[in-house]
Amino acid sequence: MRPSPAYRVFRVAALVFVMLALLAPLLWMISASLKTNVDIYDPGKALAFSPTLDNYAKVLQQANYVEFIVNSLWVAFAATVASLILGLPAAYSMSRFNMRKSALVVLMARVIPGVSLLVPWYYVFSNLRMVGGFGVLIISHMFVSLPLIVYIMMGFFDSLPAELEEAALVDGLTHIGAFRRITLPLSVPGIATAGILSFIFSWNNFMFALVLSDADTKTLPVAIFDFVGYASIDWGGLMAAATVVTLPIMVIALFVQKYVVSGLTAGATKG
Amino acid sequence: MTLSACGSGDDGAASDTIRVTLANHVWTDNIKKALPEFEKQSGLKVEVTQLGEDQLSDQYNVKLNAGSADIDVMMYRPLQEGKLFARNGYLADLSELVKSPTWDFSDFQSGPMEATTYEGKPVGIPIITEQEVLYYRKDLLAKAGLDAPPKTLDELKDAAAKIKAAEPDVAGFVARTGKSTAVTQFSSFLYSFGGDFVDGGGKAAVNSDAAKQAYAYYGGLIKDAGPANVSTDMGWPEAMAIFTQGKAAFYTEANSLYKNATDPAKSKVSDQVGFAPFPAGPGGSKPYNIPSWALGVNASSENTANAWKFIEWATSKEETLAQQKSGVPGARTSVWASPEGTSTFPEDMVAAIEASNKTGVGHDRPQVVKVAEAREIVGQPIVDAITGKDAAAAADTANAAFQQFLDDEAK
Repeated sequence: MRPSPAYRVFRVAALVFVMLALLAPLLWMISASLKTNVDIYDPGKALAFSPTLDNYAKVLQQANYVEFIVNSLWVAFAATVASLILGLPAAYSMSRFNMRKSALVVLMARVIPGVSLLVPWYYVFSNLRMVGGFGVLIISHMFVSLPLIVYIMMGFFDSLPAELEEAALVDGLTHIGAFRRITLPLSVPGIATAGILSFIFSWNNFMFALVLSDADTKTLPVAIFDFVGYASIDWGGLMAAATVVTLPIMVIALFVQKYVVSGLTAGATKG
Repeated sequence: MTLSACGSGDDGAASDTIRVTLANHVWTDNIKKALPEFEKQSGLKVEVTQLGEDQLSDQYNVKLNAGSADIDVMMYRPLQEGKLFARNGYLADLSELVKSPTWDFSDFQSGPMEATTYEGKPVGIPIITEQEVLYYRKDLLAKAGLDAPPKTLDELKDAAAKIKAAEPDVAGFVARTGKSTAVTQFSSFLYSFGGDFVDGGGKAAVNSDAAKQAYAYYGGLIKDAGPANVSTDMGWPEAMAIFTQGKAAFYTEANSLYKNATDPAKSKVSDQVGFAPFPAGPGGSKPYNIPSWALGVNASSENTANAWKFIEWATSKEETLAQQKSGVPGARTSVWASPEGTSTFPEDMVAAIEASNKTGVGHDRPQVVKVAEAREIVGQPIVDAITGKDAAAAADTANAAFQQFLDDEAK
């Protein structure tokens, strides 16, 4: 049966409404990043304004953002890869050998607020003379991404039929061989989901980077605050910097979107 | 609790690198530019970490709590966190160091120094001071037939009402409206009505007659002469935006923000902004005169002597003068007294600051350990008054809560 015209009109209107509500802050951010500081506050120039690229020039040239982007990419990438290397086998064994208690411990790490760990961490890492280096940032971000990856992948591995691996074992593969040659290739959507979410969490992480980084290893979320001063806020620069922080993640998310959705639902149907 | 004196005995560990943590501020930009000169003179190296004010606080709370020696010199807000830091023993006692002969400790204004002194010992050196002044629009006043800015709060109320009636698009008055953020700018109204947050005996006093009048006046002025449909969470960026977009005639605010109003790149009315001393209330004109920022030495630093060398240089007469010339008001009497020290400020601003230096009160918020919490409590009646609720009743409620808060803190 074809939907009635009234329903179709309603559907379009509802879609437009939801889109606008979700996109408005983003559009405001992008438009503000193209305005001068006087124009940003002027409601009369909300849409009609003469755009300027000065803010971007400021962000990318004077404020050294390229360096911060590289820092952020490196930390997020390294933390995600390291978490995948440790997390995938962990999730697999917890799923296949029913290690629910270990899973609970991992979940605990997910539940403890990171801020409660900052002081002891800082104490330990500063005694190890690691504060300010990339190593400590990567390790601290793994604290967020590792449990995330283990949890998503446990659900995913649960949903894969064990019979496939049993068949592989009969054909002469070891457990590890079956994991590597059979299970992992089947898990690409799950791995993509876990990887991208872990990357995003790490990219956006502010608290750990604030305390554990220094001037050379500063990541983007911390660097953004350079535009907020005590007696002056550079809104244009701030919005341009925010756009620079957001865009890479949006692009990545668009590309891997279909994996993310299938990965999440695959995990969700079971357990 | 005593502050550990780290000044002596650790010369062996002293390093040639001074680690300095500073807030994003014009002051910091200026100091960074002048640093090579200091490094050349002293043969020391300075490593600067620069952060936004709240991020700076978070970082201190983590690092100093862990007893870190990674910070030598710290820029902090004496009134917001000074008491907390001093009580926790984060700030080194500077009593011996300030005796340095050529540096002239007695030159610092007493009001700001009060805020950086803990249990009789100086623990910080004020670098930036702040007073509340009246910002106004010269053109709107002229249009309304007023030849001078209001001298009293009654005149301010009349003038604001007059302009609002004549210009439907323009508010007569704007100021901060957010519960916590408005507290500091409300404080001058409170003092000028003859009140204070706490009375002489240390009891909560935000329901005194003076305080009730001040709440009713401040809230009423914004409700009656303020922008239409005014929100009750405006901080300075929002209130300043209304003023700089030309949508308000009067604005009471910290003078440290004046460049936002007079810089054509940020303000549409840059050539029409005037400044006047804070209008007098029944208790006279009593704006706050406070140190918004100070430098202290981390009590766990192993480099105290060199840290002090940096502070001594950064707060010297020469540097203070250079800072003041670029628009950052300092705390040295001699710099204020010299014509050069005030040469770059607008003339009416200088007059307003001089008035504040004479009658100013040394705090702009309750002087407690948990300042953020206290601001939420004493700020509630401001919001209630703006939204048209009974200010006196709100003040009574707030006073009970504030007294409870003070009792808890005294335990």
